[in-house]
Amino acid sequence: MESLLTDAQKTRYQEVKKFVATEVEPFVEQWDRDQTHPESIVSLLGDTGYLGSTLPTDYAGKGWDFVTFGLLNEAFGRGSSALTGLITVQAMVSMTLLKWGTNEQRKKWLPLLAKGKTIGAFALTESGGGSALQSLTTEFRRKNEGDGFVLNGEKKWISNGQIAGLFLVFGKSEQGFVACILPRETSGLEIEPIKEMLGFRAAGLAQLTFRDVAVPASSIVGKPGFALSHVAMVGLQYGRISTACSAAGLLRGCFEESVSYAAERRVGDRNVGNFGMIRSLIARMGADLEAAHLLSYAACRAEDEHLSEAFSKALIAKYYNSQAAVRAASDAVQIQGASGCHSSSSAARYYRDSKLMEILEGTTQIHEELLGKIFIDQAGKPLA
Amino acid sequence: MSTEVEGRIKEKVKSFILSSINVVDFSEEDHLFESGIVNSLFAVQLMTFIEKTFRIEVGMDDLDIENFKSIKATADFVMRKNGQLAA
Repeated sequence: MESLLTDAQKTRYQEVKKFVATEVEPFVEQWDRDQTHPESIVSLLGDTGYLGSTLPTDYAGKGWDFVTFGLLNEAFGRGSSALTGLITVQAMVSMTLLKWGTNEQRKKWLPLLAKGKTIGAFALTESGGGSALQSLTTEFRRKNEGDGFVLNGEKKWISNGQIAGLFLVFGKSEQGFVACILPRETSGLEIEPIKEMLGFRAAGLAQLTFRDVAVPASSIVGKPGFALSHVAMVGLQYGRISTACSAAGLLRGCFEESVSYAAERRVGDRNVGNFGMIRSLIARMGADLEAAHLLSYAACRAEDEHLSEAFSKALIAKYYNSQAAVRAASDAVQIQGASGCHSSSSAARYYRDSKLMEILEGTTQIHEELLGKIFIDQAGKPLA
Repeated sequence: MSTEVEGRIKEKVKSFILSSINVVDFSEEDHLFESGIVNSLFAVQLMTFIEKTFRIEVGMDDLDIENFKSIKATADFVMRKNGQLAA
């Protein structure tokens, strides 16, 4: 894949990989046990600009292209899925506000998000159905014409919810679906941490409850009626690609550690890597890694070039990479045997984290539903 | 001149839709969403295509289904944004 990158992209990729090796990997198991990220790493991410990588420099961002954003997520995915989740959601909120926020919303919030002074949360999912977006029950009710809305309802499984200073909230109204931003200190907003997740344990998930929350008109994002079809879609596209690249990073972690283990670990007078069954597992992992990198690159490149197939490329990358990550993590544990089953093993964490990648930002089954329709709709046409 | 530009825009938009969706044919006045030719998931793809192809930015004030409901409405919208058609 690296042969496809520009010199600038290669340089940034190496910089981020170095950052992850020194600032993330030595601490990730502790964060996983603590089920939280320390303020110091969140602050460091803000200082490096990684939380605003795709925002324009006018808003204190780095103005990176999508391919570089993908490389950032891949490099972080190698070190920590949960921390990559923070970067993912920050981009989902930031880029949605960049596209559909008012000038006032952009000026106030984007520099804070870019520098990590404020962490964002994308409050879309509800307990009644994560992927069934049309069935949202959170409700925006008109107070008086022109005076905004009153918000009531609940959101669940909201990443970054425990530490977020700004929530991008989606719900229904008489005028169709609506989106708004709510600062953490908003009266009537209750935040309850969700702990003991299988994976992504440090991702700070929370349940949100809105009780007669006053939402001024100035907090509405986009136009009422377009919150799902246009506003959420911007964030979800970033979410899918970020997760796809993060899964590729996790897969690389499984591959690199499995290869090292197979080369060094001795059973009797032979290295583990001399056994054909271990080579088979590593062969599949290596082929999956190459495929995951190429699919990630194709999805990011399609976004950079605003190609019509950008949507389907992102779906394909997320669909394939998340499943390949699950396969690789399972095989990495298998190769390491009992050592891979212990909580001190990164393979064990990869195994737990990888499963969530098949669920967040749209389950594997939802991706099959969408991709199946797209492929059938394009019957007789060459696959882009 | 204006008619010629309008024709080119319609052709490009229709060609994009036909390349993405399995539909035999439709007229420039057909309602794309109500008729089921495209679904809401396609809305952002169509918007992105329009932004890139015609070098315009679709902003919050442009979020109106009337602007994208048909090939003709989309062409009118693009021409208005480019100052080639009175609002």
